[in-house]
Amino acid sequence: MRATIFLLFVFLQLSGFSQSIIHGIVTDKKGVPIEGANVYLDGTYDGGSSNEKGKFTFKTSEKGAQTLIVSFISFETFSLTADVLKMEKLTVKLREDVNTLDAVTINAGTFEAGDNAKVTALKPLDVVTTASALGDFVGALQTLPGTSTVDEDGRLFVRGGEAEETQMFVDGIRVFTPYAPSARNIPTRGRFSPFLFKGITFSTGGYSAEYGQALSSVLLLNTTDEALEEKTDLSFMTVGLGVGNTQVFGKNSLSVNASYINLKPYQELFPDRNKWNKPVQALSGEAVYRFKFKNESLLKVYGAFSYTDFDLVQEDINYTEGFRFGLTNRNLYFNTSYKNSFGDGWKIATGVSFTNDYSDMNVLDDKIIDEENSAHFKVALKKGFSNRFKLNFGAEYFVTDFKENYKGAINGNFNYGFDNNIFGSYVEADIFFSKKLASKIGIRGEYSELLNEFTVSPRASLAYKSGDNSQFSLAYGRFYQNPKNEYLKFNTDFSAENTSHFIANYQYVKNKQILRVEGYYKKYQDLVKYDTQFSLPTSNYSNLGEGYAKGIDVFWRDNKSIKNLDYWISYSLLDTERDYKNYPTKATPGFASTHNLSVVGKRWIKDWKSQVGFSYNFASGRNYTNPNEVGFLNNKTKNYNSVSLNWAYLVSQQKILYFSVNNVLGTQNVFGYNYKNTPDVNGTFQRQAIIPNADRFFFVGFFWTISDNKKDNQLDNL
Amino acid sequence: MKKIITLIALVIAVTVSAQSQYEKGMNKAFDLWEQNKTKEAGQLFERISKAEKDKWLPPYYAATIEIIGSFGLKDEAVLKAKLNKAQGFLDAAKTLSPDNPEILTNQAFLNVAYMVFDGQKYGMTMSMKNSALYAKALKLAPKNPRVIMSKAEADMGAARFFGQPITPFCKDVKKAVEFAKEEKISEKFYPKFMFKRAEQILQKCEKS
Repeated sequence: MRATIFLLFVFLQLSGFSQSIIHGIVTDKKGVPIEGANVYLDGTYDGGSSNEKGKFTFKTSEKGAQTLIVSFISFETFSLTADVLKMEKLTVKLREDVNTLDAVTINAGTFEAGDNAKVTALKPLDVVTTASALGDFVGALQTLPGTSTVDEDGRLFVRGGEAEETQMFVDGIRVFTPYAPSARNIPTRGRFSPFLFKGITFSTGGYSAEYGQALSSVLLLNTTDEALEEKTDLSFMTVGLGVGNTQVFGKNSLSVNASYINLKPYQELFPDRNKWNKPVQALSGEAVYRFKFKNESLLKVYGAFSYTDFDLVQEDINYTEGFRFGLTNRNLYFNTSYKNSFGDGWKIATGVSFTNDYSDMNVLDDKIIDEENSAHFKVALKKGFSNRFKLNFGAEYFVTDFKENYKGAINGNFNYGFDNNIFGSYVEADIFFSKKLASKIGIRGEYSELLNEFTVSPRASLAYKSGDNSQFSLAYGRFYQNPKNEYLKFNTDFSAENTSHFIANYQYVKNKQILRVEGYYKKYQDLVKYDTQFSLPTSNYSNLGEGYAKGIDVFWRDNKSIKNLDYWISYSLLDTERDYKNYPTKATPGFASTHNLSVVGKRWIKDWKSQVGFSYNFASGRNYTNPNEVGFLNNKTKNYNSVSLNWAYLVSQQKILYFSVNNVLGTQNVFGYNYKNTPDVNGTFQRQAIIPNADRFFFVGFFWTISDNKKDNQLDNL
Repeated sequence: MKKIITLIALVIAVTVSAQSQYEKGMNKAFDLWEQNKTKEAGQLFERISKAEKDKWLPPYYAATIEIIGSFGLKDEAVLKAKLNKAQGFLDAAKTLSPDNPEILTNQAFLNVAYMVFDGQKYGMTMSMKNSALYAKALKLAPKNPRVIMSKAEADMGAARFFGQPITPFCKDVKKAVEFAKEEKISEKFYPKFMFKRAEQILQKCEKS
């Protein structure tokens, strides 16, 4: 009997497993049924899928309060905690996930490169396989619209701005001397090797409040988070040698690269128009150390050292003996960054960079020594309140200590210098109203100790997705930048120069095709003016300069229409005038051309085991002043044309032979004219064309990777 | 006495059935998978992984289904959403079983899905990641046939891309088959070696 009761009890227990039925319907915000959502009680096996009408129904033997989860791809997961008995006739409306690839992106002004970007204008390999770029990431960016071809300089000139108006940041930390030194009329290169970076964001205007001290543009370079494998890279080039090694040990990794460039053999084979007393010789080394902590936080320490020297005499109409320029430069750069996530949706990124740049220059018979010590300290915090609302804020401090010693052959000895310290802080909110509408609103404050000035820059952008493949966006912002070192060393009674950007952008992206059209208006205010032929200690300086730049940038990339061919076309229309420096009147500066066009194509030919690429750059004529005629910047040079080709041949998977030729056709390009200071007997000023040092540039390299894995090669290194 | 035995049997049956809820669930998921009901199978694996907080196999399979489903997609938004979801499962599996060669191999498989979609965009970073993943997996389990096979397939893919013969890697596939025959698996639902696929590849090897 006792047993029977016990049995009965067990049965009761079993009947306690009686089931309740959970049912309802899943729809999106508009009430359209969602088929295939996973609906279940959290922590149990009980659940089911919604059918084509969005309906779901399943049995459960769970009791009491339970959590119902409804999840579906591209939607935010829904959860409801209630008594299972009450989970009847449920109507679940799922919210669209705004973090998906097809959600709207705030992109006015911005190009992204790398595989993490939603819309990739440049792919990782493009940086190193673009024919005209010669493996320089700056060169690759110059094939994007918004940039001007200023081939005798090599730096980035964005939307009618000077090169100094673009600032570079590595992992959010400022780079004070981003370009390698070079003589006048010889294009410079970026100091960094392109394979350090996993992502590049190039903003030609309207950028985030996180970045300041840039009037026109910011270039954000993000280094790779982890070295993946141990290997040794060797490069043998017509211009020098390179060696790299990566070691991985536990949570640590260390990569070291060194290169030695000497242009002497090249210049003996292909003499150029200069007389080289000492050909370019550059020794550089860099090291990256990365450490991943247990909690996934990451520490990166990057250090680079370079030494460059050369000495040359360039023909100059004003100097019968030629213009002598000699340089010895050494540059030391450190960048340490740390990032971590903590608490509930918090992220912190902090870092320090330090630069020491020392140049010893001989200009004609004068000797100039420049020394710059700069540092940047930054803390940036991010808090995600939800998928749809994120707050970014932070503070930073820039220190620049610049000293110059000038020993004139005639004028005597002078010392100049300044300390330019700036404190900046910002707050910015990312708001998603829906998958189709998003905005970013921020404000930045800066205080310059040197100028004793406080500036406030508002920034705002808005993006609306008008269709499955298209979107519109707008951006506005105000940007301040302290005057250039070359003015600050003589005078510090300035205000910050500033610009306002107004940008409207349309983007169409579909299946390996991108069309991007952007119109902008940029207003320059408080530009530095002086009243002498060059900026001198004795000049009278003011902030009375002003100007504007407006134009349209078009970008088209297509990897679909023509089989095996990937190509892009960039066109920029630029209308700009400014009254600054010693301009007597408003005029279009000599570095700006109205039309700029780049066409880049590349093709992988399997049978040849080769990748071949070409690029074509065109720029309409640039202004110069002809003193024989009335007026200022009164003439235009002829148009600029250049065709470049490259060919990468895979000898084996680890050995690559690389050829490239810039300006294959040897087009005689003219960047401007240098006029004699004094007229000849007929009262005419004689002139000399400013032309490239060599018509063509050849490059041959052999790259060899040694690693356990036989697949690796340095294609990404070229 | 008889009653008591029945009772005990009943109680045991109940507890046994409770214990094997995991097995039942997994079996059901595999059944669904075999019937090509991949969505349902994936969702069941997802539910099991939420319920069994200490088992790495359910999220492992939930990820596998998403990854397989992403091949052949044309829309990058869908691809990324699916692979992000798969990545979430793999991350969960990794936390439960760190340094697991099967999960590492599955991660490499996920990366392959990106590479297949757009080699220009994802090829460079993903191939580097994968060679590191294979190196790590082989170090942990030098005789694991699935790791060897997956690596051989990746090597063949790269060789084909660079226009080189695939034959050097055929011996790896053969080696994988040998190891697979010797392999003794004790854990239930542990990933199995795909003999059929290995055969198909070896046939291709003979042709070339």
